[in-house]
Amino acid sequence: MSGLLETIVAAPFLAAVALLLVPANQKTSLRVISAIGALVSLAGSIQVYRLYDMTKGGMQMAVSYPVVPDLGIHLKLAVDGWGVSLLLLTGLIITGGVFASWTLEDRPKEFFVFLLVLVAGVFGVFVCQDLFIFFLFYEIAVLPMYLLIGIWGSSNKVAEAGPFRVVWKLFDVGGKEYAAMKLTLMLLVGSALILAVMLAMYHSAGAGTFDMQVLGQHKYPMWLQSVGFLCLWVGFGTLAGLWPFHTWSPDGHASAPTAVSMLHAGVLMKLGAFGVMRVGMLMLPDGALQWAWLVGLVAVINIFHGAMCAMAQKDLKYIIAYSSVSHMGVVMLGAATFTVNGWNGAVYQMFAHGLMTGLFFALVGLIYEKSHSRWIPDMGGFGKTMPGIATFFTIGALSSLGLPALAGFVAEALVFIGAWQSDHSWWALVGLVGAWLTAIYVLRGAKAIFWGEGPSEEFQDLEDARGIEWVALWLLGLGLIVFGCVPRLILDHIDLATVEVLRELMGTAWEGIK
Amino acid sequence: MSPSDFRVISLELIVGAGALLILLVDLFLPAAKKKLLGLLAALVLGIAFDVSCLADLSGTFRQGSYVGDDLALFLKQFFLATGFLAVLGGLSRCQERFNSRLGEYYALILASIAGMLLLAGCRDFLLLVVAFELMGVPLYALAAWTKQPETEDERPAESGFKLYVTGAISSAAALFAISLIIGSTGSTRIDALAQVPMTPLLGLGLAMLVGAMGFKIGAVPFHLWVPDTYQGTTTPFAAFLAIAPKAAGLAALIQVLIGGLGARGDSWQDIVLLLAAASLVVGNLMALVQNNTKRLLAFSGVGHMGVLLMGLAAVVAVDAWRGPQAEGLASLLFYLPAYLVSNLGLFLVAERLERNGGGPDLTAFKGLGRRSPWLAMASLLFLLSLAGIPFVVGFWAKLYVFLAAWGSGLAWLVILAAVMTVVGLFYYLRIVRAMYMDAPEDSSPLDPSPTLTAVVFVCLAATAGIGLYPGPLIELCRAVAQAFIS
Repeated sequence: MSGLLETIVAAPFLAAVALLLVPANQKTSLRVISAIGALVSLAGSIQVYRLYDMTKGGMQMAVSYPVVPDLGIHLKLAVDGWGVSLLLLTGLIITGGVFASWTLEDRPKEFFVFLLVLVAGVFGVFVCQDLFIFFLFYEIAVLPMYLLIGIWGSSNKVAEAGPFRVVWKLFDVGGKEYAAMKLTLMLLVGSALILAVMLAMYHSAGAGTFDMQVLGQHKYPMWLQSVGFLCLWVGFGTLAGLWPFHTWSPDGHASAPTAVSMLHAGVLMKLGAFGVMRVGMLMLPDGALQWAWLVGLVAVINIFHGAMCAMAQKDLKYIIAYSSVSHMGVVMLGAATFTVNGWNGAVYQMFAHGLMTGLFFALVGLIYEKSHSRWIPDMGGFGKTMPGIATFFTIGALSSLGLPALAGFVAEALVFIGAWQSDHSWWALVGLVGAWLTAIYVLRGAKAIFWGEGPSEEFQDLEDARGIEWVALWLLGLGLIVFGCVPRLILDHIDLATVEVLRELMGTAWEGIK
Repeated sequence: MSPSDFRVISLELIVGAGALLILLVDLFLPAAKKKLLGLLAALVLGIAFDVSCLADLSGTFRQGSYVGDDLALFLKQFFLATGFLAVLGGLSRCQERFNSRLGEYYALILASIAGMLLLAGCRDFLLLVVAFELMGVPLYALAAWTKQPETEDERPAESGFKLYVTGAISSAAALFAISLIIGSTGSTRIDALAQVPMTPLLGLGLAMLVGAMGFKIGAVPFHLWVPDTYQGTTTPFAAFLAIAPKAAGLAALIQVLIGGLGARGDSWQDIVLLLAAASLVVGNLMALVQNNTKRLLAFSGVGHMGVLLMGLAAVVAVDAWRGPQAEGLASLLFYLPAYLVSNLGLFLVAERLERNGGGPDLTAFKGLGRRSPWLAMASLLFLLSLAGIPFVVGFWAKLYVFLAAWGSGLAWLVILAAVMTVVGLFYYLRIVRAMYMDAPEDSSPLDPSPTLTAVVFVCLAATAGIGLYPGPLIELCRAVAQAFIS
């Protein structure tokens, strides 16, 4: 079916433009139009999944529109196995996000406009085959965050402590404007690095085009590959939440409104990892192989550091935020292994963790709305009054620690096997320790909030999710179960793409790494 | 001198005649109807723009001291468009502030634009001087136009005086530099530069000339007049000043450096690189600490001038054997309209807020998201365009300059510019924050002002439209640049 990829990318954008024309007080119309935009994209991504020809593989449904043909910039869209899974993820998350924001009362028009423009950028990144337009979509996916967090976010009182407390007070650490500005500036510094490498690759290849296939075929000089990959890894890695450039992430996620956190932790951080793999590893392979040890090392630091920080948190949103940092470490670990299992695991973890973290933030949003608190020590026994939320939280928690029959297990298993098969087998051991640490903080958190004694007086009459609030929870929770029990639904697509690109990358060394 | 020669300078003649016409009409117009003068000025500019599109203006005048080629046409249309939008945008404000002197105001603006048009096509140093003076002298008076004898407010006088003193110094320096150049080449023609070996005398002359132009375009370290002048003068005129004379100065630099010295880039590239880097750094860093809207825009303009100079420097490839690169010039030409629509739009929004009692500081933007969502959305797009964020035109303009500069081997400057762009984002986001995240200080709805709103809308349409579909304009700029360089 022609025009499918364009529809997926354009639908949220057109919905945003349509929203601009609707008066701000007609809230129902605004919500319905936003939902239509999200659902069209979701339907489109499901259709892409169904139409993708597994016998042929490779990039399919390719289209190309000239943008500035003189400079070699075209809007080229195509999708492979990785793209199929990530489009599906984004479709699910944005649908969940729009429904989770259904009851927003403060300026919903601008909120949905910015949210939809953001997700249009995300869809674009996953299917784009032209490096310039890839960068363009990548930037579109960053800037609306400033407005979304700064206007609709929530500020948190963070008690200043430590040697830098003067600076904390000066910059209003914990405030939503601080989080928004820090996020935007850090991510844009990352994209400045990506821009530099992009221009260097364009001029080095001398082909006069930004087509990623063409640029990928070119053999770049080793110094460019080496420096370029490092810059791409740091640049994209800032978005992926790589230590030590992850510091925007906890504040950003904690301050952001629900749908924005769902989208950001669920999808945008995957954009960063996707960029490292698609642009960094596939287009600068020798540089990537040279630095694979560093990528893996930082990945295990991510896993460990994220888990340890999550254990120390008492604010619910910060636990989830740090757990995202930790799980992105699993993604990057899989990528660093350069094995089929590792890469399959990395992309599967993007998918699984996306669903899981989307579910978590939707739940946290609900808990916050009902109890007006994110402070875990005050909570307890919520499972008595909100059993539905408690159940979905526990499903998410079990997926997070990698329990079989849930999607997280498949991802982590593949990554750890891949790590064991790689040149640095010790990564697998640290990864397993990380999984164990995850179990500690996530089970402890679930128990502290939902199970056990309580609830205390102020939380006696909390309600469970109602009506439209169930949509996001069922969509994502069911996704975790389905893709945990039948992973091949999406793993086959991912594997097809992985085997192809890895074979091309490794060339003669292919047989050895299978 | 046959009638067909006049065809080449017809635009200048139209605009010049328009200036005289306004003075004439002003004599007979009653005070209440003075606003018509502004509309008349806009009409003259519009007619000139139409003529530029429809008539064939190519050819030479006076044995080639003035040439009407594609580049000249592009620049002339740019100046006319800037003048048209700035005059229309500022119509009501000017009428409010100085109704009795409206005739002279518009006449001087048209005279200045006529000078810019002349500058676009000149190929002779003496004509360059004349055009510069014709452009510059009216600006000195216009900057101080709001000075009333009764009031205590000295700022308009300060702004006009600073512009006058720096302008006079730069004109004197330019004249001296040109005398050195003419002495070295033995001819007043600009393209005589290509035939003469580079002597220290010629080098000194060129350096002084670039410095003198640097005053006009507001490049660092010649930028000190810029913030004070913008702050003291009326906002619509500041908008005009922020765009048109800078482009005119760049036009002169293009003629002299590329047209005259194109193949010998090593003689001037270093100076321009230095100015570009300094402007990028100083402009963006200084803008961080500004609280006055016009001063912030002034320094941001200095930063943008750094990017424009980067495009100019990109014409010379580091591997000198590659000859002049049209890509650099094309990126500069594309940046000009991008800068025009975003900057003018933002100045006009600031003007509207100032008029509604918001005051000259950034606090006037507070709560605009609630007071007027459309205006806030327009400002958001203008700010994103100035910052270089997709999907508005400023992104394409910046990326195109970066692409051209990297291709010419100026990777270090591109990285510096990219870092400074992120710095720039910080102060642009301050305005966004005030608009959307702060409560309005004054919740009254904004006064309607049809002409200003119309111009803001045109700027918005251009910012978003070219941002979504930049191909045709980029191709036009490339064609013009390639024609000029070969």
